[in-house]
Amino acid sequence: MSLSLNDLVAFSIAVCAILMVGSTHLRLNIFLFSLQTMLLVYLSTLYAHHHAEEHLYLIALALFALKAVGVPVFLLRIIRQVHVQRDAGTLLSAPIAMHTALAFLAVSYMLARQLPVPPSAGLGWPGATAAISLVCTGLLLMLTRRIALSQIIGFLVMENGIYLFGLTQTRGMPMLVEMGVMLDVLVGVMISGLLAFRIQKSFEHIDVSMLVDSKE
Amino acid sequence: MVNQLYITAFYVLFALLAPPVTLGTICKVKARLQNRIGAPLWQPIFDILKLLRKDETLSKTASWVFRFAAAINCSLAIYLVVSVPWLQPKPEWGGIDLFTFVYLLAAMRLFTLLAAMDTGSAFGAFAASREATLSFLVEPASVLSLASLGIVSNSPQLNIIFGFHNMHAFHPGLWAISGTALLLASIVELSRMPIDDPTTHLELTMVHEAMLLEASGRNLLLFEYANTLKLTVLFGLSAQCYLHLIPLPVDSRWEVYAIGSVVMLLVVAVTVAVFEALAVKLHWTKAPDFIAYAITLAVIGSILALGAGGI
Repeated sequence: MSLSLNDLVAFSIAVCAILMVGSTHLRLNIFLFSLQTMLLVYLSTLYAHHHAEEHLYLIALALFALKAVGVPVFLLRIIRQVHVQRDAGTLLSAPIAMHTALAFLAVSYMLARQLPVPPSAGLGWPGATAAISLVCTGLLLMLTRRIALSQIIGFLVMENGIYLFGLTQTRGMPMLVEMGVMLDVLVGVMISGLLAFRIQKSFEHIDVSMLVDSKE
Repeated sequence: MVNQLYITAFYVLFALLAPPVTLGTICKVKARLQNRIGAPLWQPIFDILKLLRKDETLSKTASWVFRFAAAINCSLAIYLVVSVPWLQPKPEWGGIDLFTFVYLLAAMRLFTLLAAMDTGSAFGAFAASREATLSFLVEPASVLSLASLGIVSNSPQLNIIFGFHNMHAFHPGLWAISGTALLLASIVELSRMPIDDPTTHLELTMVHEAMLLEASGRNLLLFEYANTLKLTVLFGLSAQCYLHLIPLPVDSRWEVYAIGSVVMLLVVAVTVAVFEALAVKLHWTKAPDFIAYAITLAVIGSILALGAGGI
């Protein structure tokens, strides 16, 4: 029982996310996120081709335009404007966080083996493993970083995980739902990006760990 | 039978030729990228001839361990070259399993460390401590990346894992991930950039070269030659992993594999050289971060191997 191309692409999406946790360089993180989303686009077209689902092509196109190109370009612009290159990180150092993400991958492998295999979805578990680990890794990314921008990236990784789960287990959600989710994500990223910019302007940093005390 | 003869001749020829030329290629590409002409490709061979003619100076505190270490290092390296399938097609003789391979490398390192500390030079001892730290950090990466390949091949024998009759066990993702983990691990094992800069002028910060400061003449030749052989074996194994990414037909003639592995070895050497020219040396405390990447890839490879088949 060897892995099919679909499963390998799904796995490499998870690998991209785990490597993102290991680097505190914001620009590298954004590039890896873009690469990961490109792979997701490729996986969507593969599914669209295999199962003859036309609407997946449209979703893949929107994914490519908005999340693989649009959001990274927007985030790179924000980085240029707020002059941050690296994330200092909190609590866990980058290599330890990466190994924690590996542990999450192992846990999600065990979880995915418990799931019932959907009919006509091939092996089922590789995609589910990748999707669950992607959600966990995004959460880890949000928890272990200081800079507001990294948390946006972590949120986007989580969203990719949810999309991947829907894609591999149920051949994608209906077009309308998917478009709505994508619009929400886009607006969320825009707002939080602008918010990060405003925080930078008022406090001269975007370190969220220093925003715990409220000022009267 | 005639085929076996040709294969043996090819292997022996390239086992003699490839190590100096691989090292020469790395130096040449690096020099060109730094806008220098650089030494010719066969400069390592000239270096060997030069060292043969030189006299030797021995430290007064050095014992028999110092000379013995160089000899045993070189003989272990030669044993690795004839028994590890770093070049395909490999003649039938002398296979070893992956654990023997990794721990023979560790044995080589042990004797280098002993030689470095034997002369009583402070630089040598510093470098020995750094080398020991690096080696135990990188060990999981090299063992796990080879073990994950062993799992899908159902055998720990390197000859079977990398043998070209095993080409049909086609797991491109696994070969790519394990090959990259192995390449990163080899960069650390050989203490090249970005872990350590082998061409810097500061001996105090170096790892491998600082250990050999006291060696000279033929003793240095043995150490250097052993290191060149080790470099070729390690990069050759990563090149074999990448060669398995290309779906060559199972019944290809042996020449196809021969040309493929030689070209892939050169590709890996050039890639390493480009990487070394672009990278900056990491601060010593950042080295574990780099090794963490190798370990992560190796662990992902093992998870993939356990999930994808084998056991």
